[in-house]
Amino acid sequence: MDERFSGFGAYILYTVTAGMMLFILAPLLLVMAASVSDSYFVTFPPQGFTLKWYAKVLQDRDFLEAMRLSILLALGTTAGSLLLGVPAAFALVRGKFFGLAAIKGFLLSPLIFPALVTGLALLQVLTKLGSQDARLNLLIGHVVVTSPYVIRTVVTSLQLVDENLEDAARTLGANRLTTFWRVTLPQIASGVAAGGLFAFMVSFDNYPVTMWLANSEYSPVPLVLMRQLVNVFDPSVPAMSTIIILMAMVGVLLLEKLVGLRRALAA
Amino acid sequence: MTTSDDAVAVLGVQAPPVVRRASRWRLALPVGLLAVPMLAFLTYFFFYPALGLLLSSIQTQDSRGIIGRPFTLAHYARLVNVELYARVLWTTLRISIVTSALATVLAYPVALVMVKSRPMITRIITLIVIAPLIVSVVVRGYGWQLVLQNGPKGMLNWILMTLHIVDAPISVLYTEAAVVIGSLHVFFPMMVLPLASALGKIDPNLEDAARMLGAPWWKVFLRVTLPLSMPGFVAGFTLVFSLTAGSFVIPAILGGASAVMLGNLIEQQIFVVYDWPFGAAIAVVLVGLVLAVNGVSMWLLEGRRLRRPE
Repeated sequence: MDERFSGFGAYILYTVTAGMMLFILAPLLLVMAASVSDSYFVTFPPQGFTLKWYAKVLQDRDFLEAMRLSILLALGTTAGSLLLGVPAAFALVRGKFFGLAAIKGFLLSPLIFPALVTGLALLQVLTKLGSQDARLNLLIGHVVVTSPYVIRTVVTSLQLVDENLEDAARTLGANRLTTFWRVTLPQIASGVAAGGLFAFMVSFDNYPVTMWLANSEYSPVPLVLMRQLVNVFDPSVPAMSTIIILMAMVGVLLLEKLVGLRRALAA
Repeated sequence: MTTSDDAVAVLGVQAPPVVRRASRWRLALPVGLLAVPMLAFLTYFFFYPALGLLLSSIQTQDSRGIIGRPFTLAHYARLVNVELYARVLWTTLRISIVTSALATVLAYPVALVMVKSRPMITRIITLIVIAPLIVSVVVRGYGWQLVLQNGPKGMLNWILMTLHIVDAPISVLYTEAAVVIGSLHVFFPMMVLPLASALGKIDPNLEDAARMLGAPWWKVFLRVTLPLSMPGFVAGFTLVFSLTAGSFVIPAILGGASAVMLGNLIEQQIFVVYDWPFGAAIAVVLVGLVLAVNGVSMWLLEGRRLRRPE
């Protein structure tokens, strides 16, 4: 296939790569297969074909409530992290002030901090403050962990913006807002969209922060799924999982369309 | 502002000088200020809580659950001295190191094929590697629970028994091995992506030169490709190690009682035992571990102690 790989080395490379692709896909495909199997317990090989587990899941009040909460929370998180993160990215790229590198490091530090500890620390402070609304607490926690992603993607795309175009617009009489809206924003739009999409997906799947801040009344999807894992053994759990996998696939394809996956994820 | 002066000259437009001076002044002030809301938010909801946790880890909790003086290091001593807890610390270290090492060995071939194949193949591999990253960890843990299920109804056991590799079902689920497998699945992309990015920067002429001078493929890899990809390896290893050490979901689903990690111990101390200072102390140890590994990695990467491909 490629003249750079040949002989025994190539054999190893392709075998390991193919094996890893199988390793990555196997559990996901098995979950999807189990979700349409016509048996009361999840077994291998899956037997028969039915969509009744989806029907059951789509009537499950707990799951639907969790879905609604998770989507609203992810939307709120996206809005919050964009509102805070995009201006911060501007300051990091365009600003020239003392301690810029330190501030950048600080703003990105939630990325290397174990999220589990971020959530626990936040729970302690929110408890002391007497903040009892789980929805608000979750929103705060999710914005903490998602905003670095927004900052990172927006910083990357801002660095590619041609400032001459902005100067030209200003010279031609556009005010700063118009210049931002008509000249700068279109150039960083894909970066902002990728950051927002990232924030949405990270929030939707987040477990380690969510587990501290949710309560029995407001439990997002990952928590409800975890509870079902322990208590329910019929294929409705794979059906829920498959719905989540399909939603993730849509997200991945959108991200690939918007900016290209490797660029969106490049650290 | 030379560029806009040029534009002015080219377009023959006279910009009023008073306005321009005002705008330049305004430009200098607000740009840095744009970071203030984000800074304030993170200071209050991330930095300050983290300090609070550090503080409670050296305080004492009285019988009413109120945390305060006297200051003590007893919680840290307990983590190291009580065998039950020390074992959790070692399990966490062992699982994290084994997972990162396995990820390294397996990610090199994948990253190499990803970087050096035709665009179509690169795209497919990228998509397969990255797609699971965005699927909830709970779902992936559940998938592995189905694959590794103990007893003849699990996928792995069914395959092994159908192929007559084993006669009786083997038990993988609820062992450390299951946690390593699950963590490898969850964090594998974190190793492949930095590696692929480092490998992509290597000048192919260097490898060609080595090959033309008669080096066999394994020598080219060991003497040229491997040393030049070290920055990617260091970045990937750090990511996989830190994320594995801080995991909760995978050990909870796949490890059961026999592979409890620090994250699970923290959750238990807070939600079941209500021992906040001890929970906080374990959290501080976890953060210390992760920060230490990140510190070493930054020292290696930024101090130009590794040869970088230009």
